[in-house]
Parts: sequence; C-alpha cells; structure tokens
Amino acid sequence: MEISAIYISTVVYSSLITVLSIGFTLTYLTAKIPNFAHGTYAGIGIYITFSLTRLMGLSPYVSIPIAFLFGGALSMLIFILVIGTLQKIGGGAIVLTISTLAIQIFMTAAIGIYAFWVLLTFHTYTQPFILRDNDIQISGLPGVFPFALIFCIATVIVLHFLLTKTNMGIAMRATAEDPSLASVLGINIYRVQLFSWFLTGGLACLAGSLLPLWFSSSPITGSGMITSIMAGSLLGGLDNIYGAIFGGFVVGTSEQLLTYMLVGLFGNYIGEYRPLIPMIILIIVLIFEPRGLNGVYERWQVRKISKARVVEKSNAQEGA
Amino acid sequence: MIGILGNLVSEITGPSRLIIDIAMFFGLQVIVAMALNFQYGNAGVPNMGCAFQVITGAFTVSAITTRLAFWFAEQAGIQLLPYNTGQLWMWNSNNNVFTTNKFLAPNAGLSISLLLFSLAVSLVLGALIGYVISLPAIRLRATYLIIVLIALADASQIFGRNVLEICGGPLGMYVPNVFGWYPGDRSLITAIVTMTIGLISFFIFRTMLNSPYGRLMRAIRENEVTVGSVGKNVTGIRRNVLMFASGITALVGVLNAFYASFVVEGAYQRAYWTYWPWLMLILGGPGNNAGTFIGTAAIIALRRIIIVYKFNIESLIFFPISYFEEILLGVLLIVVMIFRPSGLIPEKLLYIPGLNYSKLVREEVKVDWRAATKARKGKSRFSFRRKEEEE
Repeated sequence: MEISAIYISTVVYSSLITVLSIGFTLTYLTAKIPNFAHGTYAGIGIYITFSLTRLMGLSPYVSIPIAFLFGGALSMLIFILVIGTLQKIGGGAIVLTISTLAIQIFMTAAIGIYAFWVLLTFHTYTQPFILRDNDIQISGLPGVFPFALIFCIATVIVLHFLLTKTNMGIAMRATAEDPSLASVLGINIYRVQLFSWFLTGGLACLAGSLLPLWFSSSPITGSGMITSIMAGSLLGGLDNIYGAIFGGFVVGTSEQLLTYMLVGLFGNYIGEYRPLIPMIILIIVLIFEPRGLNGVYERWQVRKISKARVVEKSNAQEGA
Repeated sequence: MIGILGNLVSEITGPSRLIIDIAMFFGLQVIVAMALNFQYGNAGVPNMGCAFQVITGAFTVSAITTRLAFWFAEQAGIQLLPYNTGQLWMWNSNNNVFTTNKFLAPNAGLSISLLLFSLAVSLVLGALIGYVISLPAIRLRATYLIIVLIALADASQIFGRNVLEICGGPLGMYVPNVFGWYPGDRSLITAIVTMTIGLISFFIFRTMLNSPYGRLMRAIRENEVTVGSVGKNVTGIRRNVLMFASGITALVGVLNAFYASFVVEGAYQRAYWTYWPWLMLILGGPGNNAGTFIGTAAIIALRRIIIVYKFNIESLIFFPISYFEEILLGVLLIVVMIFRPSGLIPEKLLYIPGLNYSKLVREEVKVDWRAATKARKGKSRFSFRRKEEEE
C-alpha cells in the first residue's frame, strides 16, 4: 500500500497535536492556567525515544510506557515543587503562567544540555535527527502512521470513560467547574490536580515519543509546538475537552495540508510562513469567538432550548 | 563643548569600554523594565510581548530611517547602488550605508534630525501596535493576552526573516551612523543619549504614577469591577496604558539598532527582550520604580559577569554557556517567585506631591489609632485564644 508522504505527515501530526491539545485543555480546566511547558514535555519524549533507539538499540515502541511514566512523574514533580507551592502562597493566574514559562525555559535548556552531553559521549548527531529508518513497516506503511492514529483515538475513548464513569474523572470535572464547591463536597482538590498533571504530562511525553519517527526533531521542537497546541485548544474553547479534539485536528491538518497546498499554489517561500498558520487561527478565534467552538455550541444549545420553550408556550396558549 | 567631550572620550579604551557597555545595556533594559512595571506592576496588564515592541523600533530604523538617509544622500548628489527591490536591498544596503555615513558625518543637523525622526516614528508605531493589540486582547482574560503577545513576538521575527525589504532577511544589515558628527567614541554618545532618554521616561512614568491617573491604574489592578462600577472606563485606561508603554518600549529598539549599527531579527529573541526584563521586574518588586532599578542593575551585573568570566565558567561545566544562562533565568524566576513574591523592595504607599503625610497622621488617624489600640487590647488574637483555652 502506498500513501503519499504528505498524508502520512498530516495524519501523524494532527493526531499528536490533538492529544497535546487535549492535555493542555485538561490542565487549563483543573489548574486554570495555560501551561506553556506542555510542548516541552513532548520534547522530553522525543529524547527518550532517541536514547532508547539510537543509544540502546531497542525498538522505538518500547519507549511508549517509559515516556508515559517519565513524563507523568516529571509533571507531578513540577506541580508539587512549583505550581502547588505558588498556589499555596497565593500567586494569581499571571504569576502561575509566568512560572510555567520559566519551567519551559529551564526544561528546554535541560534537553539541550542532554543532547550536547550525548553528542560528547557517544559521538552521534543529536540535533536535528530523524528515526524513520528505525521504524517498523506494516504492509508497506511506516508503523507510526497507524500507531499515532490508534493512540489518538484510544486517548479520546479512554479519557471519555475516565471523565464520565470513574470517581476520579467525575471529581476532576467537579474541580474544573468550581474548585471551592468541589472541596466542600469532600473532594481532595490537590490530589485531583496532581492526578490531572500526571495524566497530561504522561500523554504529552508519549505523543512526543512518537514524533521523531516521522518528523525531524531537535531540542527546541517541543517548545516550538506550543503555539499549535494553544491554537488547537483555543479553537475548541478552553472549557471543553471534546472541543480540543476537533480544534487540535483542524490546526494539525491545516498546518500540514494547507501549507502543502499553498506551496503548490504560490511557491516554496510560503513554507517559511508555516508557524504563522496556528497564530492566525489563534488571533482570529480570539477576535471573533473568544470561547472557541464551545461558545458556538453553547449558543446553539441555548437557542435550541429557547426555541423549544417558545413552541411550548405557544402550544400552551393555544391549548388555553 | 563637543570637542572637550571628544578629547576626554578619546582616552577611554580598554576596561572603560566595559563600563560604557554596562551603562548602555542598563539604560536599554531599564527602559523596558520600567515600561513593564508601568503596565504589569501598576496597571496589571501582563505584557509578554516586549520583544515585539522592541523589534518594531529596530525595524523602524532599518526599513524607514535608512531609506530616508539614502534619499537625502541621493538628493545631495551622491551616487548610490540601486536598492528598490528586496534582493537589491539585501545586497547593496551595506555599501550604501558606508557611502551614506561619509555624507552624514559632517551633517550634524541632518544626523540628529534622523535620530529624532526615528525615535518619533517608533514611538508612534509602538503606540499603534499597542492599540492594535489592545483591540482583541484587552477585554479578554489576562492569560489570553499573554498567549497573543508571545505569538505576535514570534510572528514579527518570522516576517523579519522572510521579508527582505525590512532588514535584509536573516543576514541582517548595517544602519547609518547618526553619531558620525561626534569626534570621540561613538558608543559613549549612544550610551549618554540612552541614559538621557531613560531618565526622561523615568520622570514621565513617575509623574504619571503619582497623578490621579496613576491611582486609577492601581485601582484597576486591585479590582477592576469596583473601578468600573464607579463609572471609569476600564478598557480605555488599559488601552492607553498599553499604547503609552508600547511606544516607550519601541524607543529601546531604535537605540539598540544605533548602538550596534546593525539590525538582524535574531538579536530580538523573546528570551532576551521579554523574559529577562520580566525577571528584573519580579526580582526588584513589581509596583515600584526603585525596585525595578535595583533588579535591572543586579541582573545586568550578573549577565555581564557571566560574559566576562565566560571561559572560567565554561571550564567548570561541559555544556555551552548559553544553556547555563537559560537555566539560570528559569531557576531565578521560580526561586524569586516562591521565596520573594513581592521582590527585593516591596511596593510602598503612593507618594502624592503636595500632601503632608505627617500632618495627615497627626490630625486624623491618631485619634483612630488610640481608639483602635484600646479596642485591640482586649480582643487581640492571642489573648482571645488564651481565653478560649481557659474556658
């Protein structure tokens, strides 16, 4: 089976951006801050795959559980050391946001140092690198193509069940709605937030670990993806996880496929402006619909309900 | 007088150049940090796009002032290489700048007016950008403003890299020397101009903060709903604050471009022009200018020490020193925020000129305090607890 490389890129990239956007939204819901370090978790995942594949000679898919656990543990550590401490002191949303930016700078530098150390010790080229040759082939297709898609769909389904069926998920939704009310009901908000940070960190790190199998990666790849992640999250409306699925998919697809089509139309120089696509989406969404697709959906719901009420009223009047 | 200064300056070489360098960078960064303090510390507008406004000033110099200088040179009958397309602008502007500098050096009046022109244009452009930013972002949540401004700072760098007409693409370009009339060291006069502009902007900020408008800004920072409820235009005030501070920040870009005589988009990364000023502001203590000065001085001294002792530090660590600087920036930001949330110098009461504080205390509050101490003696928190325990 032969699929053009651009479609593989589109599917892989938009699946991973979708998962990252879901994680970003989940953090925003429980902690009420945009986590700028979210893309950098993916950067850590990239180097976990790199270490396991290039340095230890293992299959790249071994890194999936390791990346999940490592990213989750790291994210929990960040929450305990920085975010939770600042919340206890009473830092506002702006202070917390700046602290996530500081974490992003710190972690990006740490990844860079690691890449440099690997270069010094093992004499392999560490930035930028690509692991397409190490990928397995499934009926002529690179393994990352079905894996990314399955990973994205599985994440959506598992998260849906987690949020609607389990106690922890319901507690998370309650915390997202109103933290003080949730704590009155006996929910340990700190633990819920810790769990949500573990989940988002693990998912982001996992998504990052699949990235170098198809895309060229370097230490700044992860932190550079944060604009796309935020655009996807905002497009879906920061208050809704299901919106983030759609938003992430749209942003990922437009970034790959739209750039490809525009390059075909106008010439190669358009490719340089690719990072502008998520920014344009972001700004358009903020200008016209600050609450994203969730706002559109809610307005539609309200209109439907009010229409139904008007019909009920007129029916009642006719009956009288 | 210029001659005397020039004679003094011609002796300044070697280590004294370092002092000029530190003074220059202190002047540049303190303007950015003061404008940030004006926005975030006093009005509560988290401007994370300082790099965007600084790059506007730099692009003003490379795209507008340079063209104007070329035009003046051509009017004076000097033959310049063609520069009408982007490619030609990139290839020929360095030669053209060299030719134009010879023409500008004896023309002190024209040079100074070019400097003032670029300052004025960057002020207007910066204010315009502040207005455009404020349109979507100001009525939104503060976190959205941060997202939009960071994205815009990156976008401006992308345009600077790809639109050759702005600053010659990724290679950058030289800009005309507007201090050619000065006989001595050019960096000294640039540093003096920068410090003067910094001082002027300090007095402007100080006057604005101590005016009724400044008190209104602080009121918005504390509680915007209350301010709105007494009939003040919260959105309008925030927009004005953002416009004014953006204009002042854009001046920094102009001064930096003339100091380096070179404009390239890579020099205006958001790490250097956004995150370091934020660290200065948070370290010094948001909400007061003295803290901003101390924070800026501390950070500039730290960075210069790192650069001067670069080789000594690099022998201790195995990785490049730029990573060390980034790690230091991240760790310092978090440590200061956790252990010193209000900075080195916490915010003090507003100083209002013409108001006699001692008289105020003596006349009105003294009576209240006496009553309060009497009331407090019985109901002190600790005595209250003790009573409970006794019961």
